[in-house]
Amino acid sequence: MKNIKKILLAATVGAAFAASGFVATAQADGAKIFVIGGKADDPFWSIVKRGAEDAGKVVEAQGGTVTWLAPQNYDNLGVDAAELIRQAIAQGATAVVAPDWVPDAMDPAFKAVADAKIPFVVYNAGGIEAADRLGAMNYVGAVDYLGGVAGGEYLGKAGGKSGVCINSLPGAANIEAYCKGFGEGITKTGGKSDTLPLPATAEGNVTAVAQAIKAYLLQHADVDSVFTTANLDAIGAVQGIAQAGLTGKVKVCGVNFDTGILAQIDSGAQACAIDQQGYQQGFYAVSILNGYVNYGLSIATREILTGPGVVDAKNIKATLVGAKQGTR
Amino acid sequence: MSAQSQLQEILRKGRIEAVRDSIGRLTRRPEMGSFLGLVIVYVIFAIFGGRVFLGSAGWSSWLNMAAEVGIIALPVGLLMIAGLLDISVGAILPASSLTVAIISGHYEFPAYFGIAGGLAVGVIVGFINGLLVTRTKIPSLIITIGTMFGVMGLTLGFTILIAGSTGVFIVPDTVTKSLLGVALGGMFQIGIFWWVGFVIVIYYLLHLNPWGNWVFALGGDRDSARDAGIPTRKLIMQLYMLSGFAAAFVGVTQVVTFGSAQVAAGSSFIFNSIMCAVIGGVTLTGGAGSVIGIVFGTITFAIVNQGIFFSGFDPNFGSIIIGALLLTAVLSNDKFRALALSYAARKK
Repeated sequence: MKNIKKILLAATVGAAFAASGFVATAQADGAKIFVIGGKADDPFWSIVKRGAEDAGKVVEAQGGTVTWLAPQNYDNLGVDAAELIRQAIAQGATAVVAPDWVPDAMDPAFKAVADAKIPFVVYNAGGIEAADRLGAMNYVGAVDYLGGVAGGEYLGKAGGKSGVCINSLPGAANIEAYCKGFGEGITKTGGKSDTLPLPATAEGNVTAVAQAIKAYLLQHADVDSVFTTANLDAIGAVQGIAQAGLTGKVKVCGVNFDTGILAQIDSGAQACAIDQQGYQQGFYAVSILNGYVNYGLSIATREILTGPGVVDAKNIKATLVGAKQGTR
Repeated sequence: MSAQSQLQEILRKGRIEAVRDSIGRLTRRPEMGSFLGLVIVYVIFAIFGGRVFLGSAGWSSWLNMAAEVGIIALPVGLLMIAGLLDISVGAILPASSLTVAIISGHYEFPAYFGIAGGLAVGVIVGFINGLLVTRTKIPSLIITIGTMFGVMGLTLGFTILIAGSTGVFIVPDTVTKSLLGVALGGMFQIGIFWWVGFVIVIYYLLHLNPWGNWVFALGGDRDSARDAGIPTRKLIMQLYMLSGFAAAFVGVTQVVTFGSAQVAAGSSFIFNSIMCAVIGGVTLTGGAGSVIGIVFGTITFAIVNQGIFFSGFDPNFGSIIIGALLLTAVLSNDKFRALALSYAARKK
């Protein structure tokens, strides 16, 4: 019995040495990039992760590693993510990519990265303001407000004169930003816009959303463009327009998409979807840091905007292929 | 006056009294409060909503909403009469939609296969709810909150695992579409007729069948009901399976109507169904309520929700009107119930 224990101990120690030896060589050869992101089973974050992994193929070819760190759940997001950043430092990261989800909770952790002289990129959330404040190399991500502007301009250029933004979560800052952007986008092209807030009794009820939009369109005959900020609302909008007898007269554009939305765009029921292109966020954040750590390369453009990308009839086929492969 | 004419006079008076009595009883029925509420709400929104609200667009708008929440509010109301709650309906609805979309959309099996699967999900969750409520001492509110989160998690997990997306689409065949998802005249969804069907069946069960008396007895006092020989365990299981089935049924009609199922759906049905029952005169403590009342409550609720968009009211304040309606309804229901009780007591 004692012998078995000894053998086991020896094996463990040996394995530990082997592992540390491996890490040491990896560190010497290439970048050791830690990426903090959302849960892998989160549909959006699985796409970001895919982008980071694809960029990681180059990192690995140059002798480095890319490690994805994600919280177990989103219940205590700021604190958990800050802890993950500290874990990355402790594990000897030579570069860090992280979103600034909750500045109050996470900024001290970012400062610790800066103090340790580890180069880092803020991505997905926080904006260029966070990158400047924390001393990050760059910000890679989308700006909600600009996503709204893109939707407004798209529908305005398609002939829209009067738009409505469906706000199914009144009070949520990102939704308000989308709606504000939509208003400015459609105004720029000579139109006007309004916001339709939905009561909490319509939350998650696609029929209630459809009936609300139908009622609104019937009472506001001049409205020809609908902008939605959630997939469920876009599905409801298409049905509401049909029930109001306005199919073809009122166009829909929405933020984000899933396979159901892509089917709607493919069939022509929905004009466009605004995409922040998560794949690009993972891909470029990792690539920028890999080039910097290995060869001192940098990107002179500050604030790398990965969105808004537009999915419409022109690129729907390629988008469908991407959705199948997990890149969109 | 001959004895015969005297008798006729007495009979005539009796008939008049009987008619007067039945009118009186009608106005003192507990449903009267919710019916009056319905009329008042309709008149208010008719004034502010104008011609579009009064026309078929307006009617279809609130009927479509009422039908869905109504199908769920009926069995939820039965549970409340029996002194129980079911929060899990909000999770069963998307679970059922996604089951249909995954089986018949993603895997392209025949539609009836997917629909059977979707309905089965509801019945199974209802079975589990019933089992937990009858076999433990935990309040039904807590149990069904638990199963709600469980079902939500399973729905999200499996949808991402299988379809890799939080929404799954389906192109239903014409037979399925015409049975469950067609909009008559372009706006009246077929679900309205299904709702009528549910109302008839549940009206029969609650008011014309001994089973209904058991439900009331259960809400009055569960222990005495069991002592009186009512199979309370079986009854509770049946009630939960019924509410699970109803929520799943609405999930099925939604996915067929909209051709898409979303993980983020269903949550508002939890409070909405309870609200409809309460506006319709069902008490939270159990033992009182009626199917007609729940129907009135559902229609009132739907008219307020949709009426806001037809009227010139600022939709930002929409929730205030809904909240005020609920409180007014409960207050007036109590008033009418007290009236009915005091009248009955005086007569004795």
